[in-house]
Amino acid sequence: MKVERARDYVVENLPYALNPRSIAVVGASRYPTKVGYKVIEELCRWGYKGELYPVNPRSKLVQGLPAYPTVKDIPYDVDLVFVAVPAHIVKSVLEDCVAKKVKIVVIATSAFKEIGRGELQNQLTQYCRDNQLPLIGPNLVGMGSPYLNFNCGFIPYLPIKGPVAMISQSGANLLAALGTSQKDHFGMSFFVGLGNKADVDFCEFVAYAGRDPNTKCLAIYIEGLDSPEAFVDACQHVDKPIVTIKVGGSKIGEKAAFAHTASENAGTTDEFYDEIFERAGAIRATTWQQFLDISLALGMQPTPRGDHIVMITNGGGSGLLSCDHFERCGLPLHELSEISPGLAGRIRAYMPMFGSPLNPVDISGTASPIQYKGAFTQAMRDPNVDGILGSICPTAVTDVPAVTDVVIQIHETYKHLGKPFIMECQGGEECQEAIMKLRDHGIPAYPTAEQAVNAMVALYKYGQIKRRKA
Amino acid sequence: MSNNHYTLGSDQHQAWMREYWYAPRGIGFTEPGIVSTDSAEFSAYNVAKSFYQNYPEVFNLSNISEQVGIPAEEVKQRIKRMYDEHAIMLVYNPAVAVYGWGLYYWVVKLKDGTDPAVKRKLSQWFQNKDDICTGYETSGDFDYFNGNHMRVLDNLLSDVIGPWRDMPEVEYVHLCPIRRDVRESNVNMWDAHGDGYRKFIWGDEQIKKLLEAQNVIDATDFAIIQAINSAPSVGDMFDYDVLERLSGLDGQQMKKDFVEICDKRRIAVPIIYLNHMRLGLTMKMYLVRMFQNVPSYRKAQLVDELSDMPEFNNIWEFSDSFYDVMLSSFNQLTDPEQLRKKLESYGEIEEVKVADSPRQFRRWVARLDDQNGYWEECVFTDDFLQDRTATKCVKCQFSNHEEVK
Repeated sequence: MKVERARDYVVENLPYALNPRSIAVVGASRYPTKVGYKVIEELCRWGYKGELYPVNPRSKLVQGLPAYPTVKDIPYDVDLVFVAVPAHIVKSVLEDCVAKKVKIVVIATSAFKEIGRGELQNQLTQYCRDNQLPLIGPNLVGMGSPYLNFNCGFIPYLPIKGPVAMISQSGANLLAALGTSQKDHFGMSFFVGLGNKADVDFCEFVAYAGRDPNTKCLAIYIEGLDSPEAFVDACQHVDKPIVTIKVGGSKIGEKAAFAHTASENAGTTDEFYDEIFERAGAIRATTWQQFLDISLALGMQPTPRGDHIVMITNGGGSGLLSCDHFERCGLPLHELSEISPGLAGRIRAYMPMFGSPLNPVDISGTASPIQYKGAFTQAMRDPNVDGILGSICPTAVTDVPAVTDVVIQIHETYKHLGKPFIMECQGGEECQEAIMKLRDHGIPAYPTAEQAVNAMVALYKYGQIKRRKA
Repeated sequence: MSNNHYTLGSDQHQAWMREYWYAPRGIGFTEPGIVSTDSAEFSAYNVAKSFYQNYPEVFNLSNISEQVGIPAEEVKQRIKRMYDEHAIMLVYNPAVAVYGWGLYYWVVKLKDGTDPAVKRKLSQWFQNKDDICTGYETSGDFDYFNGNHMRVLDNLLSDVIGPWRDMPEVEYVHLCPIRRDVRESNVNMWDAHGDGYRKFIWGDEQIKKLLEAQNVIDATDFAIIQAINSAPSVGDMFDYDVLERLSGLDGQQMKKDFVEICDKRRIAVPIIYLNHMRLGLTMKMYLVRMFQNVPSYRKAQLVDELSDMPEFNNIWEFSDSFYDVMLSSFNQLTDPEQLRKKLESYGEIEEVKVADSPRQFRRWVARLDDQNGYWEECVFTDDFLQDRTATKCVKCQFSNHEEVK
């Protein structure tokens, strides 16, 4: 349901969604295949330290914990109520939550607006609003934070710690991001599935993420905005990069988005969302991969002061892929001589005679860690250089781990200069390991040239957005 | 097939029966149409089932109060107490063929002298095997009478029966595909003859003995159960205003839908199940085999005659089996020997096998094993799209308990 702007009572209660002192799980089950079982199992497995109250009218004991017939019967204070029961039970649960004065309610249950029960969903939402009980969902997968060891929902694992707040309408895509986090070291501050977002809206999680100290970048997956103006307003008040991906714009996708999370896109166009994101100061990604890639970069690196980006590679082909893509993205590379008159000469000392000190700088396939270090350091120290894109293309003589260590060392040494440093490592297993290690040290690293370029372009764009906001 | 038997389902399904004399699928059943168990038509039951534990007012208290002659508040308290003591459970019995399943029961006989520990282990496996939606442990001429709703016979044979079929202790397993579901838990089902559908069948003598034989429920409690189960229409069974208040769904629509599928289309029968185990009652089960040259219509007539006897709390008629009928009665409430004699008085009946049942595993997918902490845990299974004969395939198997090989 529509909101005019992020509501204070909602934003103030959102910490209870991610760091509750006590949780009641309505629909807590004794059977391992049921959602209500998984919620409790995962909370325990990931080390939730607060109080846990299963609610099940058929059993006095669930997974070894005392169970209560209703939320009202719990004799202790309850911060968060997680609802995993069929839709027809939810109204009664909400009434109990209000009576119990719980802080926030999260509804995993499906079968509301997305199947035509819009009126019921709206009635329940209005009831919650009348009673200032923030409702997240329905039709969601859950939420959590690796910083708090908190995994609340039917979610198989936590992401690794990192800078990105993942706010997603889709549970499946949220889970995909969590999987990517584990596999590709994509660090998150917290994650939440909003589902139908009947009550708590994007704008309120945007406001919350803006205050969250672990969040450096907001990544928002949208199937439809009920309150675009509130979204714009919330984003404008956040001093952190925001990346969006909006789906459901195709002819059939419009219907699919409604069937999925009751997202209404009729009458809106892609241009409409372009304008919304422009005004919000958000960077719009068009593919899922780009969404993840640029969120990671924006969460890890500063923005370049200008467009003097230097690319240093040991592979000419990688350089060509990159410079073409830079140009396609509207950020063409400048020749080194245009960026800084003496830089080409200084870098020449770190390449063989057949290398190319243009831009991309090709230090050749024989480049050693010492040559990488020299070239990177020269570029980093040059005051006219605004950002560096490095690339490793392993040949038989390339010592990928050693070059990786060099990059980490330089990044640590010159972090104070505030220049973005992005890496591309294209190749086999050794490159994947290098990417993981670099990411673990705060350096966005990618397996293809285009991904790395997209990341740098996003940083540049965000730099412009910041200047506009200032 | 008579037009009177199945008035359910879509026009397309009914059109089939005008063209052909055999059912489109399933043993002994037509395929009258599909209403899934979580569809809107089932909302009334689903709401009541979700709430009656805490809100007995989901039942039509004023109707019950009037019939029983006690205040509505007392009715409420008594229902709550009976539930809390696990003497009753709200369940329903679906016409599973409506959904395209066969209803396959099977009788198991273990060899004489089988170690009781082996039987205990097998019982545990049956209790935990979620595909077995109803089942009885017995002792006497046979040892188990279990049932499944399954779409593919091979799945039943390989995954439900296969794991223990070749145990040396097993003397035989005989399939008993259900042709007619006549009565379950003292409530007449869609295959009862005449106007017997949804009648709650208890003889005066049985009620008298029931009230003498145990002290968990009294005459007033029983009258409450009787009032609910005997509601002439499911529209009178629940308080649809309460269902609306609890769920937010439209009460009148729920009523209309539920009346349609229960009263008119006869797809499901909601029941207050009396947990006879909690009451200390045991069952006598009579497995009847008729001579093979008895014509089908006579078999049906005979079952109809037996179903007029209130002593029998369950009655199923089989098809394509060694046996023809299974009936049961409560040991403490009837004269089992007389019932046996009655059965054997029919010249058409070749043999009656008799066993006692102290234990029922489930009441259609709802677990009854209080002793394991699973009271009313409902686990629904389906072998749709599954080939359980294939090894390493995905199975619809929920329990973590080890299967007995």
